[in-house]
Amino acid sequence: MSDELFVVDNLTVTLPTSRGPVDVVKNVSFTVGRDETVGIVGESGSGKSMTALAVLGLLPRGARTSGSVRLDGAELLGRSDRDLKSVRGNAISMVFQDPLSSLNPYYTVGLQIEEMYRTHRGGTRRAARRVAIEALERVHIPDAARRVDHYPHQFSGGMRQRVMIAMALCCSPSLLIADEPTTALDVTVQAQILELLSELQSTTGTGMMFITHDLAVISSIAQRVLVMQSGDPVEYGTAEQVFSDPRHEYTRMLLDAVPRIDDEVAL
Amino acid sequence: MMRYVLGRLGGVVLILLAVCLFTYLIFFKLSPDPAVMICGKTCTPERIDSIRDVLGLNQPLLTQFWDFLSGIFAGRDYGSVHCSAPCLGYSFQTNESVWSMITARLPVSITVAVGAAVLWLLVGVIGGLVSAVKQGTWWDRSAMGLALGGVSVPNYVLALVLQYVLVVKLQLLPFPSAVPFADDPLLWLESYLMPWVVLAVGYACLYARLTRSNVIDTLAENYYRTARAKGLSGALIMRRHALRPALTPITTIFGMDFAGLLGGALITETVFGLNGIGKMAADSIAKNDQPVIMAVTLLAAFFVVIGNVVVDLLYTALDPRVRVVSS
Repeated sequence: MSDELFVVDNLTVTLPTSRGPVDVVKNVSFTVGRDETVGIVGESGSGKSMTALAVLGLLPRGARTSGSVRLDGAELLGRSDRDLKSVRGNAISMVFQDPLSSLNPYYTVGLQIEEMYRTHRGGTRRAARRVAIEALERVHIPDAARRVDHYPHQFSGGMRQRVMIAMALCCSPSLLIADEPTTALDVTVQAQILELLSELQSTTGTGMMFITHDLAVISSIAQRVLVMQSGDPVEYGTAEQVFSDPRHEYTRMLLDAVPRIDDEVAL
Repeated sequence: MMRYVLGRLGGVVLILLAVCLFTYLIFFKLSPDPAVMICGKTCTPERIDSIRDVLGLNQPLLTQFWDFLSGIFAGRDYGSVHCSAPCLGYSFQTNESVWSMITARLPVSITVAVGAAVLWLLVGVIGGLVSAVKQGTWWDRSAMGLALGGVSVPNYVLALVLQYVLVVKLQLLPFPSAVPFADDPLLWLESYLMPWVVLAVGYACLYARLTRSNVIDTLAENYYRTARAKGLSGALIMRRHALRPALTPITTIFGMDFAGLLGGALITETVFGLNGIGKMAADSIAKNDQPVIMAVTLLAAFFVVIGNVVVDLLYTALDPRVRVVSS
């Protein structure tokens, strides 16, 4: 038995289209250890998000999967929706790209954290509310006891993403999937959110699957990196290896596409 | 919030004043001379003059309008006859007080509107919801096809067909009449059943299509995906993260539609011979009974304007984003 927390083995996702079934994720394999962050990089349409959705069984209707996805040795692929409910948000939780549209505008952030906590842990509303306030405090939202009753639109973009992270971590999951969590945010706020994620990871020991198209972000947070191109895994290795000595042409191309401060620019 | 409410109510008063002025101008100034109409066939110029005098038609226009307005709030005198507040004048046809005509007929219109509203909300919203959840199935396609057909059928056609089949041929229902509930609950139900159905069909079809598209849009929202990723139960996801956002806009439309109907369902009431505000409007227009026409116009405007304000206030309670902007 290996020490790996999360194993994706030969995962293939097939979506039905008007021109017949298309493999949007092809034979992807990677592992996430406890306390480890694995980055999944690629352009839009490379299958990063589909990989994440497949893990939680949230693929669009008609999608088919093959291969194996295991958390602590337990197979997740092919389980019923009902069965996966106890996994979603509880053992594996997810943070999405756009925090404004990912939070329901009709309910306070407190209620949205409470409903998740009570679904998995039960207990009274009061207890759940305390958990929600603590969760908000943990992601450094000032005046959490008051802010818990505010609605998503009353928060700034960065604060909203903090709320999403607080929610994702309120049931102490063993794996956090962050799907482009910083893409919709300002650069300075991006840095704060990355710092927060690293900090929380070091205190909770949660494994993290970090999806992004931004290599700069990945290099600062991930220990291992998987590069994807139109559904294919093209390169997989430690961050150091991938960044310093990319084997694949596509990875080199991605790395070259990142603007650097010492680049000469023709004006 | 209080300031918002007061502001809206102030707006209501202004709008109703404007509606009053316009209807007054249209019906009393651009229509045939009321004095001639009241005078009838055996008429002398002296008689016309005396009627003009009693109705105050010799006064300047603004004075006449002021008399009309103050009559509503304080009552007024027509010659030796005192018309107590709220005074909307007397019917040219029956000499009945317009206000008492309205109070006698309003319960009928309210019964028709409330019954139909309950029916169309139930059928439309539930139908649309099931269609959205079963999107693309045979149920969805046939329900939406039916809804398209239902919207297209004029309600007077439906009314006549139903009346012919259910009343004349099969004799399952009596001819509708405005029976008060307290007199005979069963007859009341049988009488109003057809008007309710006829009025509700068009709205139900419209609401079903609306609900369906709203729910489908909501199911594509990111927060719906979040709710699923949180592992919430199906019922909770449906209630909080699909229905609440999808149905909130429907309250706006419902408020408008319902308020419009309180001013009388003209066609339905006329076809079924129900003595409500709608039939009163139709009759008064046919006979050019100006005080009555004016009163029903004002009444309809009153309901629509009030309905609007109620919907706006309700919306601040239903949608937190609106609430914060308004405070």
